[in-house]
Amino acid sequence: MNFINRAFKNVTRRLSKTILLTLTFFLIGNLVIVGLGISKASESAKILTRQKMRAVVTYMLDYDKIWQYADTIEDEDELNKFYEDYPRIKLEDVTAFLADERVKTANALSTNMWYSDHENSLDFVHLNNEAEKNMDSNGQACWMLEDGTQQCEDYKEPMFLARSNMFPSMIEFEDGDYEVTQGRFYNQSEINNADFVCLISENLAAANGLSIGDTIRLASNYNSPFMKEMGVTEEDITSEFEIIGIYDHHHPITPDNSNYDYCYPYENPDNMILMPTTTVYAANLTLNQKNFDYYAAMYAGQEGWEYYDDESNRPSMENMEKNNYIDNVVLLLSDPLEVDKFADDYKDSLGQFARLDLNNDEFNKLAKPLDTLSMYANFIVRLVVINAIVIITLVTALTLKNREYEIGVLLSVGASKFKVVAQFFVELALVAILGFTLSVVSGSLIARRIGNTVLEYQITASDLEEGYSYRDDDYFSIWETDYTEDISMEDLISEYEVTVSPALIAEIYVLGLGIVLISVIIPSFMIMRYNPKKILMNQN
Amino acid sequence: MAEILRLENINYSYIDGGYERQILKDLSYTFEEGRFYTILGPSGSGKTTLLSIIAGLDSQKSGKIYFEGKDIDEIGLYKYRRNDISIVFQQFNLISYLTAAENVMLAMSETDNKIPDDRKEVAYNLLERFGIVRSKADRMVNQLSGGEQQRVAIARSLASNVNLIFADEPTGNLDTATEIEIINIFKELAHDFGKTIIVVTHSDAVSEMSDQRVLLKDGKLTDY
Repeated sequence: MNFINRAFKNVTRRLSKTILLTLTFFLIGNLVIVGLGISKASESAKILTRQKMRAVVTYMLDYDKIWQYADTIEDEDELNKFYEDYPRIKLEDVTAFLADERVKTANALSTNMWYSDHENSLDFVHLNNEAEKNMDSNGQACWMLEDGTQQCEDYKEPMFLARSNMFPSMIEFEDGDYEVTQGRFYNQSEINNADFVCLISENLAAANGLSIGDTIRLASNYNSPFMKEMGVTEEDITSEFEIIGIYDHHHPITPDNSNYDYCYPYENPDNMILMPTTTVYAANLTLNQKNFDYYAAMYAGQEGWEYYDDESNRPSMENMEKNNYIDNVVLLLSDPLEVDKFADDYKDSLGQFARLDLNNDEFNKLAKPLDTLSMYANFIVRLVVINAIVIITLVTALTLKNREYEIGVLLSVGASKFKVVAQFFVELALVAILGFTLSVVSGSLIARRIGNTVLEYQITASDLEEGYSYRDDDYFSIWETDYTEDISMEDLISEYEVTVSPALIAEIYVLGLGIVLISVIIPSFMIMRYNPKKILMNQN
Repeated sequence: MAEILRLENINYSYIDGGYERQILKDLSYTFEEGRFYTILGPSGSGKTTLLSIIAGLDSQKSGKIYFEGKDIDEIGLYKYRRNDISIVFQQFNLISYLTAAENVMLAMSETDNKIPDDRKEVAYNLLERFGIVRSKADRMVNQLSGGEQQRVAIARSLASNVNLIFADEPTGNLDTATEIEIINIFKELAHDFGKTIIVVTHSDAVSEMSDQRVLLKDGKLTDY
């Protein structure tokens, strides 16, 4: 007849007390399940939705901080120096991010429009739309000179878009938006050496009968009369690239796109050529040097043109980073749920004028009703737990008075006070388990009902009941490099489901036993003060 | 006979209305094995206080109590109560939500003394020895008569296999016939089983049936 047996017999044989206490725990259990169930469902909906989103973090200049800092500089020379050495994203910082195992890749993309060489050796992929028909109109680009005369040049539409990265992969490939179907992506060595390598789309390869190892000739510019005046030759702007990869993309432009007729060839993703940023820079180097030399000769020693007096500013492969300004880099992480922690880990080591944008403003806005719901639910749980502890403590303490005699008997036969307290704990725990077990069934039904009702109210109150989408799916844009996912309130709500999972049930039991444990503390102190002589002799 | 309990210079007092009341004064006495003692004394003489001290429910202000030659303070009062003695009270002090057999088993579960594995059978046998048949042994104790409840209490006192049993007015709530029956049980325990029985009583009838009457007067114990 150890204390566990005694507790079991007390519970089973004093039924009226047991039923009352079970009912109390049943009510507490229901309230806790409702609170925890709703809270968990809210958190779970947020996590599942966040998991669906791309884990992208943008490492970017913090222009607010830059302007604020600039405002504090009173000396004009110092201010000019600050603007000359304007803050920039440094590649070494991005390289440090890439060393973090949570980072899959980084996009520091540049885009440039390109032309076929003057022999038109490479044909673009045709859409046969209105924009292409207008390309042969021999249009002119005109501008006003300082003396008031107008100058015009024949204008030629570019046909290709070179999209280049500073790193040997792209988010689009890591995420499966693009796929290398033949060959490979360019590597770090090719980036470092500015090798003339590229990847072309499957359709561009098919249109020109190209395969891996073939070369294509492209012109980085249209050799206008003005450029000829600077001494630029066709050879200066034309480069030959080896095709090292052929890729497929999953964003074909079709007549269903609202802007289909207005897409020029370079806006067609089939005509997008991928290459290292260093390669693009190298391909334009001679042109840029001649441009620098042209202005240096024309404005030598003149005020306001000091830039061209400094030979170190003349474009070269050595000063590429200085001339190739980057103001943001998009990092792709392997786990969307790591985004907040990643930003937190680096917040103190970022440069003075840099910041990490988590791209989750929209998500946070949409998740607000769920956050509010979760907050209220947690508040209810805390309130119920505190009340439960108070109620059970009072009930136990009041019961002690009636059980003084029993305690005296137990102490007189040599039972330790610890065993007496343990018996009280087991008795309450048994009743709590019974009450909570019954409440699991009813609580899940109530939680689902209340959870859905309150969520609907929250959404209405937040004025977010309409699904929010910031992208028009009919509109196509090659320029858009938005890596955030298109999420809506419906996405969040579809993931919101109040369920009583085994983990939640376990949590409720642990919480229940915690309530019992705390509730027994004060009565335990009372028991510790009991004197068996006083109890038993008073009885006699 | 060998001594089982020796009291040496026991003093006990308490403050009452701002004055110290001395209950026990340099009390010394030795109880021997296998004898049935009754402690008599006028009301307020301190009989119950003495019993609570020698039963380890309270502590004396000074003096020593030796059980089988060992100081009970060194044994530890919980351990002393658990393994060396048992107590029978006037109000029986049974636990109401347990059956008679379970009340007997309660003492077995707490003691460190060797108890046979089949404790329920031991409880039934003990109860049967005192006239509680099995059908009654499985009843809740509040369904038994006062005499039956006191027999259950005596059976419980034996369940922990101890040699020293204290009883505080054990027949105070019983009729005369039952009183004699209970006292005979005590005598049998002392004479046939070698137990030492110390009963506090104010009943001459009970004291006359004991082996040794001891009078508590002016804070001291004297044979009577």
